[in-house]
Formats: sequence, structure tokens, C-alpha cells
Amino acid sequence: MSDVLANQAVPTSAESGVAKMKGRLSTGEFGWIWIATSALFGISAIVAPGTVRFTSIVAMLPFAAMLAIVAIGQTIVIQQRGLDLSSAGLMSLSGILVAQLGFSTGSIFLAVVLTLIVCAICGAVNGLLIARLNIMPIVATLATNALLLGAIQTLSGGSPMTVPKALEDFSHERLFGVPYTLFLSLVFVAFAAFVSTRTLIGRQFIAVGANQRSARAAGIGVLRYQVGTYAAAALCFAVAGMLYAGFIGSASQVAGNDYLLPGIAAVVVGGTPFTGGRGSVIASGVAAIFMTQLGMMVLALGAGTAFQLLVQAGVIVLATTIRHIPGLLRVPR
Amino acid sequence: MSSSTLLAVSEISKTFPGVKALDNVTFDVLAGEVHGLVGENGAGKSTLMAVASGALRADEGTVTIDGEVMSGDPERARALGIAIVRQEPALMPDLTVAENLYLGVREGARPAIGDLSRWSAQVLCRWNENITVKPSDRVDTLNPEQRFIVEIVKALAGEPKVLILDEPTEHLAAEDMERLFARIKDVTARNAAVVYISHRIREVQLVADRLTVLRDGQSQGTYSARSLSEDAIIHLIVGTDLEREFPEKETVFEGEVFSVRELAGKGFNSVTLSLRRGEILGLAGISDNGQHEFIRALAGLNKIKSGDVLVDGRAVRVTSPIAAMGNGISYLPGDRHREGIFADLTCRENFSSRSAWKDTYSMVVNTGHETNRTAQAIRQFAIKTPSTETPIASLSGGNQQKLALASVLASDPTVLLVDEPTQGVDVGARAEIYKILRENAKKGMAIIVMSSDAAEIAGLCDRVVVFSRGSVVKTLSGDEVVENAITGAALKSTSVRTRSERMASGFWRWAAGDAAPLVMIGLAILLMGAVAASQNEFYLSMRNISGMLVLVGTLALAAYAQQILLLVGGIDLSIGPAMGLVQVVGSFYLVQDAGLEVHAMGWVFMLAAALSIGVLNWLLVEPFKLHPMIATLATFMGVQAVSLILRPAPDGSIDGEILSLIGERFGGIPLTFVTAVLVGFVLEFILFRHRLGFTFRGLGSRQEAARVAGIVPAKTRLVAYLGCSLLAFMAAVAMIEQVGIGDPRAGLNYTLGSIAAVVIGGTSLFGGRGSFIGALLGAIFIIQVNTVTTFLGLDQAWQSYLLGTMIIIAVSLYSKSRQMAVAA
Repeated sequence: MSDVLANQAVPTSAESGVAKMKGRLSTGEFGWIWIATSALFGISAIVAPGTVRFTSIVAMLPFAAMLAIVAIGQTIVIQQRGLDLSSAGLMSLSGILVAQLGFSTGSIFLAVVLTLIVCAICGAVNGLLIARLNIMPIVATLATNALLLGAIQTLSGGSPMTVPKALEDFSHERLFGVPYTLFLSLVFVAFAAFVSTRTLIGRQFIAVGANQRSARAAGIGVLRYQVGTYAAAALCFAVAGMLYAGFIGSASQVAGNDYLLPGIAAVVVGGTPFTGGRGSVIASGVAAIFMTQLGMMVLALGAGTAFQLLVQAGVIVLATTIRHIPGLLRVPR
Repeated sequence: MSSSTLLAVSEISKTFPGVKALDNVTFDVLAGEVHGLVGENGAGKSTLMAVASGALRADEGTVTIDGEVMSGDPERARALGIAIVRQEPALMPDLTVAENLYLGVREGARPAIGDLSRWSAQVLCRWNENITVKPSDRVDTLNPEQRFIVEIVKALAGEPKVLILDEPTEHLAAEDMERLFARIKDVTARNAAVVYISHRIREVQLVADRLTVLRDGQSQGTYSARSLSEDAIIHLIVGTDLEREFPEKETVFEGEVFSVRELAGKGFNSVTLSLRRGEILGLAGISDNGQHEFIRALAGLNKIKSGDVLVDGRAVRVTSPIAAMGNGISYLPGDRHREGIFADLTCRENFSSRSAWKDTYSMVVNTGHETNRTAQAIRQFAIKTPSTETPIASLSGGNQQKLALASVLASDPTVLLVDEPTQGVDVGARAEIYKILRENAKKGMAIIVMSSDAAEIAGLCDRVVVFSRGSVVKTLSGDEVVENAITGAALKSTSVRTRSERMASGFWRWAAGDAAPLVMIGLAILLMGAVAASQNEFYLSMRNISGMLVLVGTLALAAYAQQILLLVGGIDLSIGPAMGLVQVVGSFYLVQDAGLEVHAMGWVFMLAAALSIGVLNWLLVEPFKLHPMIATLATFMGVQAVSLILRPAPDGSIDGEILSLIGERFGGIPLTFVTAVLVGFVLEFILFRHRLGFTFRGLGSRQEAARVAGIVPAKTRLVAYLGCSLLAFMAAVAMIEQVGIGDPRAGLNYTLGSIAAVVIGGTSLFGGRGSFIGALLGAIFIIQVNTVTTFLGLDQAWQSYLLGTMIIIAVSLYSKSRQMAVAA
């Protein structure tokens, strides 16, 4: 009885709304990246079996792990309707800083902590520029990225630096044959996912991203979330930067550039929209594996890095348009 | 007086989801008459006029304008002689008054652009000889009253056959009201007609010859304005329907729990009232008379200038919604979509947004507890939703509203503020919302309800205060709380709005203008040059200048390309790779001894490459609706990939003759720089002195207003993307001379470089604002920063420091000045 009433009471507009939401959910907003990744490994096994051997997967995973950590940072920024171009500068800076501080303090632990603090402050500056001075995120982070490049130049004097042995060892360390970096990135993804979905902070963070005005009216401190988001993102970029420097064995001034666009691409492919609020760090993390494996497969097929880039571009377009297809198909009806 | 019919609306019906806004309405307007259209909020007046002016298409019925049938076509309605003055002016805020007037009048009435400022001054003067609005004022610096005058002047300038005025006196001071009435006489004197929509019956009786009453989307008939008394009209407006179910009122209340004394803020002043436990107080009045600002001030969303707020006898400061909620005051916003709900989030997340602390144990949200609480609220308030995890946007308006109300109630307020409790809510849910409010009052909550629906206020509230022009003009209680009395008090009020005289200070007004960025960047360039020259005389040598200008030429052209898209509210990250691809394509054809034909083919292919990237970007952004940033990020990677496939490594030397042609210098000044300057001036001229420029800026400024002015967004954006591609092509040609070989990575830095240049030059990434000369100066500035550091013997790092600092200073200054100018 109550069901009948309920159905009658829903006006026509809501019906189309329900249909729209169902369409979106059935394609799996953040779920389909899992399907796509499984399919990719399946295809890889057939067309490029070399890429799915244990050794090659273990060789691929550290890169995927670092990309995943960058993508987490970029995801939370995009959930706040922003974009962080300073991820490049922050990644490079953290590598240089940890190397210098590591040698000057003699303690890798202290170096890591200090690097994280510096980068978090840089991120908070981004947030303040955006939230308080009302500068568009892309412009603010473009400017801070320039400042960071200056700082990198000043610190390093323009030449790559070797990193402390301890950091290098950590980046290459394996547990049961699986690289440490992967565990670290799993911890990051799990922590970010937990905070953003299961804590009060995460709830309010999502509310601010979804609708800043509603959040303000609901008594949520919008400013602290905006600033906090950029600071947290900066921490992600810093960790990735340190791992990368350790992995390569030297900290370069341009290390971060390699991860700027792929980091954003992973978020887009993972399904986090640029409209704010909704998002999934887990999907971004899986997308990082997807993008890295896709690159490996394309390379194994004998195509060059250029073709790899083309495929990635195609994937971005596909990943963003695929969500419209159910809608487009329904229009004629 | 001729009696030919200028506008005939017959048997119009229009249904919006859930509501029948117009039901078989017939209405005609005769030449030479003023036809009043009266009715309550939501009676369908504005919908009817939207149909008549072509902004909306009716479901049934016909609209005939001066003998010709029109349906849903604003351009044609305007050409046929309809002009409408909207309550919310359809102006583009980043354009000047003159530009808005130009785009706003019908095509035949537009002046030549060279004559625009004289023409605008003239039409403004026709309104008021001593008008303070200048043609060159930017609309966003005007106050609401001035904007409304511009909207009226715009409508009058086209010499319409039918002038529609929607609540014209709400924003006007007394003297301007008289001017308006005089203009109305002019219009009818030339045998055109006026449709006058208003709540204020006395005003309508004063100006109208005939009037039509609308109630709940139905016409209550057309009458001669003088044949009816004011009370008779009110009776027609209100009707006798008391079909709505309201819960029984209370008569006995406990002690006072909330009061405000002499409260003043923007839009209202010296409001004093108090509230007892269990009481529901209504704020009534015609919209825009301060009641809305007042309730928002209590919620901590608007600033309170002076006065006291007391909760439980304790003085509290409601400086923010956090402070208000902390003191037991919760607010349910009236604009549900923009401020009340989180449309993309689930019912559960929406419900707990104001009370998540109840489910939180040491920072962790207990989702089970949260879901239970949500499910309980859904049951208690009979909210129809498939589950707690359904996005709230897919619920009906009434259920959304009940959920939002449940969410506010869950924060356990002492005082509940409700703004428009039942807007966009179906009849069934209305009664339930009234019941919920009354039940909570019975439990001891004090409730303030603001509504523009007098019947709702009458049925729901125990006591009512009526606002007019920012003050409380009447308090009704007990048996006085009936709809007639509320509507009567609001409609009969003749208090006059005091004219607002606020203006931004001179500096901020200047800084918000178009010239300021140019002057500031120009000075910075001169200053930096002077410092460099004083340290190292070689800086001013022709050789150095010439070398700098070559780089400036390329960057400036790339910046223009970016500028065009930013103007229309887009962005192009693919400019850099696009330049690279053009140059790579060229490296296959523009080689030595290839012959003229091959060279010509090369140029064609290069241009085609650039234009096809533009079309591709447009396709992704318009038909596929990708975010411009995502779309051009994808093309960034795709185009770069194509370049790398064509030329995995730099190769293919360009013909020396072509290089020397592009590299031509006139007394040391490079051809590319001269071209860039010329192109910049031509584009600047188009931007500020040609209709195309107005169109671009108008679209970027406010798409809805631009559409009303006859601009087609998709078409205009296609032109913008093609223009962007053409300029990127030119930039690539300029770059060829510096690279000399097909290098796939040569263009990459120009993406961020072009954004930096335009941003320093004063362009807003929000669209609508920008200048090509500014972009040129921005490009000069960036190149200069890169060069100066070496001359000053500074570390290379200073290039980055200077650039980053300059972007932040410039952008925050522009942003601040624009805020200051707008806020005033």
C-alpha cells in the first residue's frame, strides 16, 4: 500500500532523474575502472604475455604506486573543484630537500619529517591563495610552481643530487618479493579512502567540495577544508617525490614533470568528475595501475612512447565520454 | 486612440514538472494602452510574459505579436517589437553599459559602433538629464538600482511596440518612479503598448487602463482599471480558496526565548521582535523588502551592522553560520538547490550534514548509526526515497525539502529559521511540512518562517510581521492573522525606498578597469628595464632588444590564442603541442629545394593541422560536454603523440630562405614582433569596437544573459576555437625561425607560458574579461624577466621567483579590485 502511494507521489521530473541516476550507477561510476583494469590484464596476457609475468609486474608496480600517490593528492584537490599544477614542483622539491637534509642532518627520519612539513606549508599557501585571495586554482598553483622551481634551483644549484643510501634502499626494498612502495601506496589509498568516507572530516570535506554555499549554510568551516586539502595534497606529492628520488637514486630538478599530467589523467580515468564533491581515491589508485600497465603493454607490443601517449589520450576521452553514452542512447526514446 | 491588438496571447497552457504554471490563459494588449497584470507570487505572471517574449515555449495556445504568430523564439519576438524589462536584469556584468545597450536592442535599432558612446549617452539622458550612469561604466560596478535603470533604458532604446515591465518599481527610488511613469506615457503616446506587472495594486491602478488578474495560473478576467476598488482587486488576487490543510494553531506560549533589538544590516534596519517557545512567527511582505536579508542575517549568512540578538536571554553574536548553530539557531535556506542541499550526495550524507557529530565516535563516523538515524528520519517524515543511498537530486522537490528540513531539525535548534518552506513543493508534501513545523513548535522550539506566500503565512503562523522597504510596517497576531490582512498590509504599503549612494573608492574603481593592468604591467616592464640598464648598459643594445623581441613575438601570438578561449570561459591546454605539431608538419614540406608547390602544400597542411585541433577541441567540449580542461588535456597528449610519431627526434631542417623571411628585421625590430603587435591591436580593436568582440566577452561574462541577447553559445565557441587555432598556427610559424628544425617538443612550454602571459595581462579565468594588449605586455614581461636576471648577475632561480611572485601579485590585485568594485 505504502509503495503504491510512494510511486504515485513522485512527479515526472523525479522519474527521469531516477532513470538518470540508475543509468550512471549501472555503468558503475567508480566501479568500472576495476572492470577495465581486469580486462586490460586479460588482454595483456594474450597480446603481450611478457608483461604479466611476476617479474615484470613487480617491476611495473613501483611506478604505479608512485603514480597512485600523486593521483590521490590530485583527486582530493579535484574533489574541491581545483587542480594542482604545483604537484610537479612539489615532487621535485621534496626529492632535493630530502637529499640535502638527509646529508646535512645525518638522519633520514628527520629529513623526511622536515621535508613533509615544508611541503605541507607550501600546499597550505596554495590553499590560502585560492580560498582567501580568490585566485583560480590553476593560476595560483602555476605561480607557486614557478616559486618552487626557483627554490629547487637555489637549493640544488642546478645539478641533480644523489640521495642518502637509506632512502634509496627503502625505495627498492621488497617484502615477500613485493616492493615497499606498493605497500606504502596501499596504506595511502586505504588511509585517504578511510578519512574521506568514514570520518567527520571526510564528510565535511566532501560537502564543501559538493556545494560550497550549502556547506557554509550548514555551518561547516569552508576555509579550513580548502586550505587543508591543498596541504594534504602537497604531502602526497612530497611522499611520491621522495620515493621517486630514492628509486632513481638521485634527485633531479625536473622529476615532478613526469608525473604532472599522468597524475591528472589517472584521476580523470578513475572517474572522479571535475564538478566537485564526489570522487574516489581508490578508483584513482586503480587507474594508476591501469595507466601504467597500459603503457607497459603498448611498449611490449613494439610501439614507442609516442604511441603510448596517444593511447593514454584516447583512454581519457573514452573514460569521460563513456558515461554519457547511456544518456545519449536514451534521448531518442 | 486606435484599438488594434499588438499582443494577443490565446489559450496558453504551460506545465512545469509537478505544477501547471499557466492554465488556458487568454489575454490581449491594445495599441496605446497600459495593461496591468496582477497576481500573487507564483500566480504565473512571469511565466506568461516569458511565453509572450519567446523565452519559453508554451505547451498549448498561440502568441500573436502585431498580427504575426510567434512561438519560443526570443530573437523573432524582439524583431517583432517586444521588449521586456526583467526583475533580474539580463545584463552581462563584464561589459560596459554601452555594450549592453548595443547587444540588448533589436538589430534594426543598433547604432554604428563608432557612434555607440554618443548614442548610449543620448538614450541614458533621455531617462534622466543628470544620470550618474555613464556609457563607459562596467555593469558589475553599478548598484542594483542603476542596473535596473540600464535594463529599462535598454528596453526603451529599441522603441518597442510592446514594452513589458516586470515589477519595475521594486528597485527604483521615488524620483525614478516618476520618470518611469513619464516614459510610459511617451510609449503609449506613440501608440505602442505597455504591460505592467506588479504586486502593488495602487501603482497599477494609477498607471493602467485595463488590468488582468492571474491566480494559480488561471486568468480571473480582464477589467477596466478604474471599475474596481482596491479591495475588490485584492479579493480577485487572493480568491476564496482555503483548500490547504494547516495544522491547528496554539494560543498559549511559555516564556520568551528569542529576541532581536534594533537590528540593522544590508537591506533592513531597526527591526525589533521577540519570540516565545512554541510560537511560529511569520515574516511577510512583497519579495525584496528586507525580510530575506533579515532572516539570513539571523542565520549568520549576512552581516549584522548593529543591534542585539538574544537567545534564552543571552546576547549572542551570529557572525557566521557556525556561530549561529553554536548558539542554537539553525537555518533552512530558501534556495534549495544552491544552498540547501548537496545535489550529488546521497540522502544519508545530506541528512547527516548538519548533525554528523551525533554519529561520530573519536572522529570516526559510525555509518550504521548514521544510516539508522537517516532511515528513522525518512520514516518519521514520510520521505519517499528508494533507499538512504539514493542521491537527493533524484527525489521530488517535496521530498528533497522534507529531507533538508529533517537535516536542520536533527541539529536540535532552539530557534529554527525557515526560508520559503514550501517553494517548489507539491501540495501533499506542503501539508506534511506544515505539520512537522507545528509539531516541533509544540515541543518547545521557536520558529521563524519567511514566505512570499501570504496564504501560507496566514495558515501556519501565530504571529506575523510585515516588512516593507526594509522595516517592519505592521505586526498581526491572533485573529488578525488572515491572508487578506497580510496581503493588504503589504500591498497598501507605500513606503519609499531610500536611494543607495554607495560607490567604490576611486582607486579600486580604476584598478578594476581595463586600463589598470596595462598601466601596471607597463610600469613594471619599464622599471625592470631601467634597473637592468643601470646595472648593465648592454641591456639596451639593439642586439639584446632584438633577441628579446623575437621571443616576445612568438609568446604574444600564443598568448592571444589562449586569450580568445579564456574570454569565452574556456581554456586550451593543447596550444603548446599544437604549435609543435604545426612546426613538425612544416618540417616535412618546407625543406630546401622542395619547390614552390610542395612549400604551398606544406603551408596548407600546417594550417589544416592547427584548425583540425581546434575543431576537435570544440567537438569534445560542446557536443560531448567534456570539461574544457579535461578535453584539452586529452588533446595535449594526443597531439604531442602525433608529433612524436611523425618526428621521434628533431629532424628536417627548414629551408633557409623561409627562415630568413620569417626572421626579417626592420632596423633590428623582428618581423614576428611587428606582426604580433599589429595582430594584437587588430584583435583589441575587434574586442572592444566590434560586435564579435562584444559577443565573445558577453558569452564569457554570463551565458544566460548572452543567450537572451541573441548570442548562440555553441556557434560562438566554434568561432573562438577556430580563432585560437589560427593564432596558434601563427605562433608556430614565428617559432619556426627560432627552432629551424622539426622538433616535436619545441612548443611544449608555450601552454603554461601563454596562460601566465594572459593572466599577468589582466585576464580573468572566469571569462568575460581580458585584453590582447594586456597579453602582449604579459608576454613582454615574461621574456624580460627571463633576460633581466642574467644582466643583473642574479641566479637563474630568480627568473622563477620573479615570475611566480608577479603572477600572484597581479592576479590577487585584479581579483581584489574587482571584488571591491562589485561589492560597492
